[in-house]
Amino acid sequence: MKIRKIKAQGRSQTVALALFMVLQSIAALFFVADAVRDLVDGPLGVESVIEALTAFVLVFGIFMAAWQLRLTLERMAAQGRALDIARGDFVRIIETQFDIWGLTAAEREVGMLALKGIDIAEIARLRGSAQGTVRTQMTRIYAKSGVSGRAQFAAWFVEELLGDGISQPHGEEKT
Amino acid sequence: MPTDSRTGKGAAIAPPDPWDPVVRLSHWIIAIAVIVNGLISKPGGTVHVWIGWIAMAVLVIRLVWGFIGPDEARFSSFLPDPRAAVSHLLAVLRGRPREYPSHNPAGTMMVYALWICLAAVIATGLIMTDAKTPVAIAKERAAVEQGDWSVMVTDGEGEGGTGDIAKAIHETAANLMLVLALVHVAGVAAESYALRRNLVRPMIKGPPR
Repeated sequence: MKIRKIKAQGRSQTVALALFMVLQSIAALFFVADAVRDLVDGPLGVESVIEALTAFVLVFGIFMAAWQLRLTLERMAAQGRALDIARGDFVRIIETQFDIWGLTAAEREVGMLALKGIDIAEIARLRGSAQGTVRTQMTRIYAKSGVSGRAQFAAWFVEELLGDGISQPHGEEKT
Repeated sequence: MPTDSRTGKGAAIAPPDPWDPVVRLSHWIIAIAVIVNGLISKPGGTVHVWIGWIAMAVLVIRLVWGFIGPDEARFSSFLPDPRAAVSHLLAVLRGRPREYPSHNPAGTMMVYALWICLAAVIATGLIMTDAKTPVAIAKERAAVEQGDWSVMVTDGEGEGGTGDIAKAIHETAANLMLVLALVHVAGVAAESYALRRNLVRPMIKGPPR
């Protein structure tokens, strides 16, 4: 949920930046046209030189904004890829562990839904089975994985994510 | 199930989902400009000229973006290749088109054709209005309406030749662009159908991830 929000935010920021850039270039076009006309028509005066300079600076600014936008977009894409890889790795870890525990196909699906924090009634609805069935499957998952209940089952994978973090002395570092 | 929750609905390979904001904005602004100026606004009117100038600015920024934008927006990732375009169209007809990280070869030809038409329309439009900004034109119109005809004298409407040619090109290219736009929409529809995926959405907004 949070990741989704951050991503959407980044996206609307780039849209705002792009919109600004388009408006800027519309404005710049009029400025440049004016400056060119003045330079061509009239004699070279201080005013027309300054106008031309303004136009140039404006156009240069647009180029800078475009470059910045491109860097931002590339960074967002790289972050998205990294996130996908991390997500994929986590899913792989979970599935490997399910293999090790020897869960059946049905138990795997139930286990995955349970890890996502979906309650038993909802899992039963999603899978089109009775709540009792799901409860039995959960019990078997706990037995196979050697945990005492749902909290410990989820914690098992969180521990995997935290890695060495747990053994560190509690204190300064907030992760 | 968790792994393909994303790949199932969106463009995992191509085209970019979503397209970058500059591509999207320029696409829709130019689409609106072409429709309004081609079908609705009064030719030669101030609104018509205004929209033409806005389209010109957007075209310029898009062409600049073709050099400094992200990969899929850059010209280098969609160079025109007529033969690839034909074979892509045949693949679409067979229902098995390949996917491309940017425009597909047929779309590429369409993009360049539309850009050339647009540039021709804008250039001839500038010739016809003597490259006056819409602001200047509006001012002149107001002056004429006030009864000050002096601005008309400086125009020097003597050289009918180039003006007529420009007008002919302006109208032909504009009509061609409207036809190409229809073909473009049909192409997107066909490609969406063949890939079983909505190709319009990435051009509006990416899927909620």
